[in-house]
Amino acid sequence: MGEILEIRNLTKKYPGVLALDKVSFSLNTGEVHALVGENGAGKSTLIKILAGVVKPDAGEIIIEGESVVFSHPLESLQKGIAVTYQDLNLFPNLSIAENIGLSQQIETGKLFINWKNIIQKARDVVNELGVELDVNQKLGYLSIANQQLVAIARAMIHDAKILILDEPTASLAKKDVENLFKAINVLKKKGIAIIFVSHKLDEIFEISDRISVLRNGKYMGTYAVEDVTKEELISYMVGRKVHYKKYEAREAGEVLLEVRNISKRGNYKNISFNLHKGEVLGITGLVGSGRTEVAQTIFGNNLPESGEILLEGKKVDLTSTSKALEYGIGYVPENRQTEGLVLDKSLETNISVTILEELIGKVKTIDKKKTRKTVKKWIEVMGINPPYPEMDVGQFSGGNQQKAVIAKWLARNPKLLIVDEPTSGIDVGAKSEIHSLLRELANDGMGIIVVSSEIPEILAICDRILVMRRGRIVCELKGNEYTQKEILNKAMGVGK
Amino acid sequence: MGSIFKKKEANIILVMIVLSILISLRSEAYFSVENFIDIFKSNTVLAILSMGMLMAIITGGIDVSIAATTVAVTVITGKLMVNFDMNIVTVIITAAVCGIILGAINGFFISKFRIPPIVVTLGTLSIYRGLTLFFTNGRWITNIPLWFQDFGDIKPLGLPIQLYFLLGVALLSHIILNYTILGRGIYAIGGNPEATNRVGFKKERIELFIYSYIGFVSGIAAVVHSSIVKMVDPGALSGFEMEVVAAVVLGGANILGGEGSVGGALLGVLMLGIINNGLILARIPTYWQQIIVGFIILAAVSFDVLQRKRIERSMLKIDVE
Repeated sequence: MGEILEIRNLTKKYPGVLALDKVSFSLNTGEVHALVGENGAGKSTLIKILAGVVKPDAGEIIIEGESVVFSHPLESLQKGIAVTYQDLNLFPNLSIAENIGLSQQIETGKLFINWKNIIQKARDVVNELGVELDVNQKLGYLSIANQQLVAIARAMIHDAKILILDEPTASLAKKDVENLFKAINVLKKKGIAIIFVSHKLDEIFEISDRISVLRNGKYMGTYAVEDVTKEELISYMVGRKVHYKKYEAREAGEVLLEVRNISKRGNYKNISFNLHKGEVLGITGLVGSGRTEVAQTIFGNNLPESGEILLEGKKVDLTSTSKALEYGIGYVPENRQTEGLVLDKSLETNISVTILEELIGKVKTIDKKKTRKTVKKWIEVMGINPPYPEMDVGQFSGGNQQKAVIAKWLARNPKLLIVDEPTSGIDVGAKSEIHSLLRELANDGMGIIVVSSEIPEILAICDRILVMRRGRIVCELKGNEYTQKEILNKAMGVGK
Repeated sequence: MGSIFKKKEANIILVMIVLSILISLRSEAYFSVENFIDIFKSNTVLAILSMGMLMAIITGGIDVSIAATTVAVTVITGKLMVNFDMNIVTVIITAAVCGIILGAINGFFISKFRIPPIVVTLGTLSIYRGLTLFFTNGRWITNIPLWFQDFGDIKPLGLPIQLYFLLGVALLSHIILNYTILGRGIYAIGGNPEATNRVGFKKERIELFIYSYIGFVSGIAAVVHSSIVKMVDPGALSGFEMEVVAAVVLGGANILGGEGSVGGALLGVLMLGIINNGLILARIPTYWQQIIVGFIILAAVSFDVLQRKRIERSMLKIDVE
């Protein structure tokens, strides 16, 4: 097994963050090399650099002894690097065969498509991967798992030498994972090197030859799979220095929300928990653990198949988001830019949009003075900077945008606020401001659910933490006597 | 790519059969060869235009200037025919070239400036209509040369000449969509526009082609239209673009892009034709035609959406142990 890829001192800076700090590692032909690390450890930045999507600030990429620089994703593909993202870049309305072979046909530059050739080649690749798929079928009818296999087949037809699989199993059922692994083993035998990014340690240990760990943008080492235990691996991954202010866990007030044994096929099973007034409850877990699905249920956006939900002791019927609003539930979505805000509208419009009924004046139109007064109040309370109500919300920084989304919900004076990944993609200063804000709100009696994959954050601000794994709550941790490592163990299903 | 008549097309045929039975219960004249040839002939312009509109709709676009372009070309070729010595071949070539130019203008704005097709073609709809009326003062051209009038009455193998034009355009469109790489690119744009360029297609060029092709098809439709009505009315086909869109959508094309076929679009045209013709023969007030067409479109589109939702639901997100 020769070395096919070497990375030397790769460094990438983003404003305020050092995403990759002199990372080096090497990849051999025919090996499955797992890349692990917490969220924000730098895995995705590394992949983006290899895919030619992001340019590194320093460092070298060497493929088969030749130093390369990518300025476009196609250049990376030409050097034999294929990446299958979660978003697979496939065409749901075209057949499997076309999805696999179209780009090759385009390269021929011919006028007519060679159907015989495209179907035959696709069939060969699919057979080689050991999957049973009718290549004439439309891709859109396939499960995510099979679509993933199609994406891999497409990489194979391009003679990829290095295949990067980014969280390929995050949303797959067990038997689909087996199929995927079967395919990976076929590729391995062909001498293709595979970088396998995953959070699921069981699977990593099953399929990989070597494992490299990233932590906080730094390379922590590479280990042969037989020389390392899961526990050791986790201890290499955590321990990242985060300077979040740690808040004391408090005693619970009266019960605000009671979730009783809700289940939904393909989402979660037997979920029960309480949320108290004045409490910050954290829900954490890996991608695909069901945490977002539970949060969506409480916001009326994902009706459970069984079980019940009580708010202040009364059974509530959360069949729609507008019902949830009536009950006094607010939801700050994970993606503020697409789901939380209208970027090309003013800060004022964005904040006032949830309380328009209250702002209606005498002649049934929106009372501008009242709106301005209310918005100014929120700008002050939240410390939104610069404090300009007329400015388009898209021009504010990430942290201030997040404050605007939260303000928009606070204006409705909710009893319960759900915040999904409250501080993703914002700088450290703004993070701690939002943390203290959430704590203050809880102090005033609001019940807050924080859904986050960033464990240090959950540890810092929550009174109680639920850890989810594969659609179930695996444990409930009170107070802050737990460490990051223990929570990660639970989320990954390691230890007892 | 297998049979032209896939599942969706089978549904359309089923609806047509039911409609036909209902109509024939009230009209004996309905089920006759003459009547069906009549339906076909009176809808050739609609059918030819639907071949172009189909391509725009498959990419998720639309061309509402299609009828305006057609009328503009009828005026241009009509004037030329009256004033110059021409024959059928030069008329067809002129019509095609004029159509392509008008269509390429749409294509240019859509592909280069990334303006939504509906906006661009609404603009050119107004411009082409306005120019047509300006240059003709709204006056009809009634002195179309006899040789052209006679051409419109030719019936090779007993079928109106207009149907041969339709056959040609339909065949050409079917080949482009199913057997060329360009055609698959048209579907690809409709399925996942962001990924089109990433697999190597050139989206800009494909879009420029589509709207130019619509222009070409409009040119052919212009010749056919003139050959049927045997004069030129600069105000003709007003609002006809909506009927073209309706036919394509009835024929199973997805207005959101990604799906549609030549066979389906032709069935959509036939269905519109049957409804219009049949309801008249069945002495049902003409207002009902629009209402029924509207209902069928809504039913067809809802069926699509429901089906898509069912597929999405069947995909499990999390493997709950």
